[in-house]
Amino acid sequence: MKFKSQKVAYWFFASALVLLSLQIIYGFIMGFAHMGYDGWHAVTPFNTSRAVHTNLLVVWLLTGFFGATYFIIPEEADRELFSVKLAYIQLVTLMIVGVTAVVGFHFNWWEGRKILEIPRPLDFFVVANVLLFIFNIGMTVLKGKRFTTTGIVLFMGLFSAALLYLPGMIDFDNQTIDSYFRWWVVHLWVEGVWELIMGAILAYLLIKLTGVDREVIEKWLYVIVGLTFLSGILGTGHHYYYIGAPKYWLAIGGIFSAMEPLAFLAMALFGLFMYRRSERNHPNVIAMLWTIGSAVMSFVGAGFLGFAHTLPQVNLWTHGTLVTAMHGHLSFWGAYAMIVFAIMTYAMPLMTGRKLWNNRMGLYAFWLSNLGMVAMTGAFAVAGIAQVYLERRLGLDFLAVQKEIEPHFLGLILAATLFSVGITMYLINFYNFGLPKDEMVGKGDKLEAASGFSGE
Amino acid sequence: MLSKSQARLFFLIGTVGFSLLFLFLTVDTMRQVPKQTNQDQITEAVKRGKRIWEHNYCMGCHTIFGEGAYYAPELTKVIDRRGEAWIRVFLKDPQAMYPGQRKMTNYDFSEGQIDDLIAYFDWIGKVDLNGFPPKPVKRLVQAASSNSGSSFATTTVDQPAIYGQLCTACHSLQGSGGNVGPALDGVGNRFDEEYLGKWLKDPQAVIAGTAMPKLPLSDSDISALTAFLSGLK
Repeated sequence: MKFKSQKVAYWFFASALVLLSLQIIYGFIMGFAHMGYDGWHAVTPFNTSRAVHTNLLVVWLLTGFFGATYFIIPEEADRELFSVKLAYIQLVTLMIVGVTAVVGFHFNWWEGRKILEIPRPLDFFVVANVLLFIFNIGMTVLKGKRFTTTGIVLFMGLFSAALLYLPGMIDFDNQTIDSYFRWWVVHLWVEGVWELIMGAILAYLLIKLTGVDREVIEKWLYVIVGLTFLSGILGTGHHYYYIGAPKYWLAIGGIFSAMEPLAFLAMALFGLFMYRRSERNHPNVIAMLWTIGSAVMSFVGAGFLGFAHTLPQVNLWTHGTLVTAMHGHLSFWGAYAMIVFAIMTYAMPLMTGRKLWNNRMGLYAFWLSNLGMVAMTGAFAVAGIAQVYLERRLGLDFLAVQKEIEPHFLGLILAATLFSVGITMYLINFYNFGLPKDEMVGKGDKLEAASGFSGE
Repeated sequence: MLSKSQARLFFLIGTVGFSLLFLFLTVDTMRQVPKQTNQDQITEAVKRGKRIWEHNYCMGCHTIFGEGAYYAPELTKVIDRRGEAWIRVFLKDPQAMYPGQRKMTNYDFSEGQIDDLIAYFDWIGKVDLNGFPPKPVKRLVQAASSNSGSSFATTTVDQPAIYGQLCTACHSLQGSGGNVGPALDGVGNRFDEEYLGKWLKDPQAVIAGTAMPKLPLSDSDISALTAFLSGLK
């Protein structure tokens, strides 16, 4: 940690982890409901759990991105944050909005559109909150001593994310148009600007962890984000196949979303090549694992599994089935959750001064959570494919099919348990680091050097 | 080899170019959507129905146009599949129609709200979705009847329309239909017309505590159904 203000990142990370834990609990409630045990129906019916589960996902990932940005930007701009106070205000208000939304969902208070369930009045607070963040980061960058590509890409990503939230706040009477613009937010976030954010965090981590020349890494960062937008923008078309939009989207969406894995493949290769080029071994082995893991798993989950059902001929059958849940889980985990874990794992020793960077607890946390998530994806895949075949191909009744696939949800719950054990170990490790210390300001290099590493 | 400034140019041109193309396609889509979705048929009732749909976050369990959660059935073609009559009965008390099964919250909809929802589903069902949802390739019922050959007795009376709207949601016939209630193959061997008539009029009066709900059937519905069912031998 070079600047004192980077400490705010810690509180963002801690909050993100709390929200993640809550997200997992609601995931279990839904898993049991799918198995036929919906004992919580009166307290949290499936649609409530679903809204909580997906919204917490979005909020904890955003919180993680904010934390990552507060950690990265001072170093990239080479100055303290513009305002630490604003950063804390932003965190507290974001948490208040998040908790209010989650509580509201239990009382039928929502907007009722998938992923954008947050009630309209709260939308304005979200926008205000993100504007506050952008102002704070923007001022830091502007007043900074240097502009780096990594810093600019990260800032652009967050700025576009804020801008793209707006189309989701317009009301339409026509379901097709409603859905059309809803995807501007959802798709252009996760398959567009969020990838920008992910790419920038990945580039930062690779610069720090591998010691490879910044110019080389940032050049490839441009290529990757270029590929992302090249394929991702028109790739939005894969959401427009069957919602009442013109037929040409089948061709456009099909072609461009088939190209989307390229960006993720580039990301995976980028990570692996830079890792191989690193001449020095950074002592924070676990941060390296999460970083390379994120690059690889985002290709598997978002790239490969996305491709598996993105072609219009396949999607005609899989659209609106559990196959979507299969792809959703591994892609969010690989691309976004893991990159947040990577930056947290990298930042914690530098903020707290504790060298828990190659301990057993941290390693198990990585492997168990990943193994669990892959197994969950497998359970969803089998359930989804069975559903497609029985319901869509053979025309069996919906509920009859759901009965048939109940056993796969037992598999899902077992896998999710493994995943949760991994996450719990991560939380314990996080707790063991303790709080960030002021003495650590400017001492990050020394900490690394003590283990024989000299970075940028 | 590629330089950093070339890489940046690739990123900028790619992003700006494809964003502009996307905006152009959006304008064209907005031009075509009104016709493809019969926008002129979006009445006030349809609009109210959509608001009820959103107000209760129905998408949190169901899907529409294939979008939503995967816990409850796809409702795009629900009017074709279940018919208005069934939807009316079902929405009054969802759990009564599927006793002991996956639960839907009872939202205590008024008649007017149910009218609005039906108007909404009706409009949704008529939107041209480029072939979604696909027709099953091989209905199981065909497979079943071709396997069973002549051992399956056929009924002498034509199936009344109300059967396809209400009964089939829970009961199956030759492998086709729901599995909430027992299959109705050969039901004519087990019960006579008089018993079936009493049963349909008020299931609770015949067997107290039965899971079968009392359905809003007219006398002519009941006589058509009993004639049909007693012929299933």
